[in-house]
Amino acid sequence: MNQDIDDLLNKYYEGETTLEEEKYLRSFFQKDNIPAYLQSHAAQFRYFADAGKEQPSTAFDFEIPQETIGKKSVKIKALTSWTLRIAAGLALLVTGFASGFIYSYKLEKNHNSENSYISKSEAEPFLKMRKVLAFDQSENTSASDRIQAVSQSYELSGADAEITELLVNVLNFDVNVNVRLAAFQALLRFENEDGVRQALIQSLSIQTDPNLQIRLIEALVRMKEKRAVDQIQRIAKNQEVMDIVRAKAEEGLSFLNQKKNPAS
Amino acid sequence: MDLQAFKQHIVPVQARLFRLAQMFLRNREEAEDATQNVLLKLWTNRQKLDSYQSVEALAVQMTRNECLDRIKSHSRKKMAHDFDMKEVKANQISPYKQVENADNASLIGKLIGELPEQQKLVLHLRDVEEYSFQEIEKVTGLSAANIRVILSRARQRLRENYLKDNDYEPGY
Repeated sequence: MNQDIDDLLNKYYEGETTLEEEKYLRSFFQKDNIPAYLQSHAAQFRYFADAGKEQPSTAFDFEIPQETIGKKSVKIKALTSWTLRIAAGLALLVTGFASGFIYSYKLEKNHNSENSYISKSEAEPFLKMRKVLAFDQSENTSASDRIQAVSQSYELSGADAEITELLVNVLNFDVNVNVRLAAFQALLRFENEDGVRQALIQSLSIQTDPNLQIRLIEALVRMKEKRAVDQIQRIAKNQEVMDIVRAKAEEGLSFLNQKKNPAS
Repeated sequence: MDLQAFKQHIVPVQARLFRLAQMFLRNREEAEDATQNVLLKLWTNRQKLDSYQSVEALAVQMTRNECLDRIKSHSRKKMAHDFDMKEVKANQISPYKQVENADNASLIGKLIGELPEQQKLVLHLRDVEEYSFQEIEKVTGLSAANIRVILSRARQRLRENYLKDNDYEPGY
């Protein structure tokens, strides 16, 4: 039997013993009457046997935290199958593209409706114009703003009493010469209107700027407007206006009278 | 894994985990603490446990890691090796023998503690917990041949150190 133990021990140290053989060795070394020459092996086998019986203290018993029992913790499902993964990927792509299309479509629609709104209402630029050109606004708006507003009138197709009135006001009372010039240019578009012509004639007596005076005279002469004769004569006789304006006025007068005389 | 399955599979292993932790940490209270920690971790992750082949192997691995972490951490106090082995068969052995046995046991415990970590683990699993090579494979991820070599080395080294400590003549 001791021969067996010797063999087993050799096998044991080579790591070749089976679990049963090791069990046998352990139980053998638990005995009291171990031969002296095997005594040195006893300690570790006894240790193993005892260590295997070790138990945590009685107080130790894993208590499952009560509050977590009832709670079904959220199950995290992995996308296990390939088809599911591919499908999820495709779905993501489709939603991405779809949202992109919808977004761009909406943008386009908005854009279109804005455009149509502008073309629909011609009143809009006019309202804007009126707002800028309102007489009491002249202190809040810059000259370039007002020139821009005046030039907006070119976008309007037909003459409108309100617009011409507005422009005439600007022509007569705007503080800035350039704005007045712009208004004058704008008014020339409607020169066939009788009201506009009368306004221009009237303006002749109001304007003090030589540049505008000359232009007014030129325009009226070109229109062969006989009603302007009185006003032009007044300018021609006025000593306060510039020489060149008076010369222009006389020239215009002679031209108008020349036309007039042969006719009469 | 629900409560029932958890109780069935994990709770019976706790003594095993405790012994493993004790082997690593060589301190009863700390071993219990580590085991508790591992069990709590297992419980909180119980939904994922189903995807593991062997929950016990996982638990053993977790215990090993937990212990190694504790050993590494600086906060670990150097505790006296209170390897309070049960009084072995007190009735039959004289008090003198009893003391000697206890001495031997704590000496072996100390010597096992001095083995390299891998040898320690394999030796413990095999000789204390009586794991088959297959089970050790699962825990350590080593091949059976490799485990045999490690086990053989661990056993021989343990014996050599024991003999050296006790001034036995080599061979006996």
